[in-house]
Amino acid sequence: MSVRWRMSVASRVVAALIGGYLLTALASICLARFLPLVRAEAVVLAMTVSFLVYLPAVLWCFACRSAWRAWFGLLLPSAALAALYAVSRWLL
Amino acid sequence: MLLVTLLCYVGFAALSLSMPRHYADLAGGTLSTARGRSLKVLGGCALLVSLIVALGLQSTGFALVHWFAALMGSAVSLVFLMSYWPRQALWLAGIVAFVSPIVAFIQLLA
Amino acid sequence: MKEGFRQAMAWLHTWAGLTFGWLLFAIFLTGTLSYFKEEITQWTQPEIVPHQVSAAASVDRAQQWLQQNAGDARRWFINLPDERTPELAVSWTNAKGRFERKSLDSLSGVPVQARESSGGEFFYRFHFQLQMPYPWGRWLASLAAMVMFVALVSGIITHKKIFKEFFTFRPRKGQRTWLDGHNAVAVLVLPFHLMITYSSLVIFMTMIMPLSILTTYGKDTQTFFDDLFPAFKSAPAAGTHATLAPLSPMLEVAREKWPNERVGLVTVNNPGDAGASVTLTASGADHIAHQPGTALTFDGVTGELKNETRMSAASLLLAGGLYGLHMGHFAGPFLRWLYFLCGVGGTAMIGTGLVIWLGKRRLKHARSDVIPFELRLVEMLNIASMSGLMLAIVSFFWANRLLPVGLAGRSDWEVKTFFCVWGLALLHALARVFLRDGRTAWREQLTLAALLFCSLPVLDAVTAGSYLRLSLEQGRWVLPGVDLTALATGLFMAWGALRFRGDGKAALAVRPTTPSTGEPLSPDAPGDRVIATRTPIVQEPR
Repeated sequence: MSVRWRMSVASRVVAALIGGYLLTALASICLARFLPLVRAEAVVLAMTVSFLVYLPAVLWCFACRSAWRAWFGLLLPSAALAALYAVSRWLL
Repeated sequence: MLLVTLLCYVGFAALSLSMPRHYADLAGGTLSTARGRSLKVLGGCALLVSLIVALGLQSTGFALVHWFAALMGSAVSLVFLMSYWPRQALWLAGIVAFVSPIVAFIQLLA
Repeated sequence: MKEGFRQAMAWLHTWAGLTFGWLLFAIFLTGTLSYFKEEITQWTQPEIVPHQVSAAASVDRAQQWLQQNAGDARRWFINLPDERTPELAVSWTNAKGRFERKSLDSLSGVPVQARESSGGEFFYRFHFQLQMPYPWGRWLASLAAMVMFVALVSGIITHKKIFKEFFTFRPRKGQRTWLDGHNAVAVLVLPFHLMITYSSLVIFMTMIMPLSILTTYGKDTQTFFDDLFPAFKSAPAAGTHATLAPLSPMLEVAREKWPNERVGLVTVNNPGDAGASVTLTASGADHIAHQPGTALTFDGVTGELKNETRMSAASLLLAGGLYGLHMGHFAGPFLRWLYFLCGVGGTAMIGTGLVIWLGKRRLKHARSDVIPFELRLVEMLNIASMSGLMLAIVSFFWANRLLPVGLAGRSDWEVKTFFCVWGLALLHALARVFLRDGRTAWREQLTLAALLFCSLPVLDAVTAGSYLRLSLEQGRWVLPGVDLTALATGLFMAWGALRFRGDGKAALAVRPTTPSTGEPLSPDAPGDRVIATRTPIVQEPR
């Protein structure tokens, strides 16, 4: 059990925990903004389905070929969602 | 609700019989492909009918809860019986299949 | 790549299951007990005899008592009794903002005189707060729920033959039987497991996933809750005194408006003030979805119906529906037992998983007598978290009957007993696993648990026999029901203890093993490839 392997696993775990949470939170934020519902209902629905985003995010972290891909696969969509939200909130 | 559970039991029994290994355990002998297919269809139909019956008896929410409960309960009972008393499990499925239309008839009258 | 994916999921399932398995076992077991928390509470306070009192009479008594003892409160809450909860629970936020509660006898209207005990509430609160300070326990429980969700789905993905082996259970085949059992309780009860796990996340979603509230409402989160539950908006007090209208006529109005539902909660805002209002919400026992948004609001001084809200938005009913499915308030006796059995199944799923994890790896060391430290550690934790927890649970009930009724802080002492026994079980497991062997620990703890569970009915008859007799005379089966369930549990513990007879070497010697996987040969072996345990999930870079 090499140190390198252990570091890789640790990295994936942290990615799943923190990166996964970040992606899920951003997904819920975007859903709350873009769902065609009254604000309170949009927020409730966004939160309710958000865990369906967290799940594949975690699975991805352990299914992909490297720990780098794990992080990349979460941070890239997160950045896209953040940009989408920022544009819709402060630019449009 | 009894009818729903009985239909689920029959459905699962048919589905298990459609698999060669269980067919051999429960009924003895080999399973032909045609019979296997018809058992799968029979099983699926029984489960579908049980859902329709459940929806007909109560409001959607309660019906779905009871249907899933019937599914899980009958599946667990069947697997338990099959593992320890396979012949009896098959006999029970036969009896239940026979009794179900009678129960359905009684419920329709009530 | 496909094979790699399944292998990765198997790895994830194995390690997520192990690291959180002990905690999840405790959460599932105490959560399962919580489906009968009202019954357990009735058992721990046998002095309280349920009365057949109308809702109107109950609410009148509550109003009277609160008028005299909490007249200056800002808000009153009256929880009406039902067939499972004999208590008339009143609570209030006093003038200083502190929350207080009292249990009233629904017949006499005075606080009940019964031994102080948390009863079923202890197990209920433990399963989502883990006896940790707010909010850390809830966060840990929520993390465990997410890991459970991951373990469930990764398990489904890993189970290659989920349809082919749907009905498969092969008894008396050692490790194969344990795996079949794990798969059976997992797959056959899967709808329940998925529902209970996902709904637990939804229940705490405003705590664990709040960012969408903040981005939509900014700092004004109170508006969010007011939007959801307009009937509970707290109106400021007018400042002038006015007598509160009688509450029972309002229940009559509710009966007309809600023909199929009983009132569960009566909330009085600013009692005794000119701006008083009363909100009625339905009991959760009559519909599935939790609907705090469906309410009737009355003017507190005139008693007139001012507003009627009905929570009808699909998204709110979805969240409320998941909440209601998890709680199971709507379940009648038959369905409630099914909930309980499904919970036992979930607990067994986790327990068998932990046993399999260890069993597979121990087979590799079957030849040598040396078992590595990590495996001994896992064995100790398995024993402490499973049979140890059973011992802790039964000792809670024993403490309830043995501690003096008038002892100060006795409900705390019952809880302390629970944790002390759990701790002792851990120490016992530690000593046995590291100084002798795990089998002895299992055998001893399961035997003790069997003795304590089986003799609980005897203890009940000896220490609280009069209440038991009265209960049977009145045809109430709660007290004997708990005793009988304890007896059945004790018999199951005894059966388990018998399985750990002897030193286990005979069982291992008889079974030929395949050299590569260490798994027992079985006629079903062809095509069954056991996933090797320490497969790296990543190709190490060249």
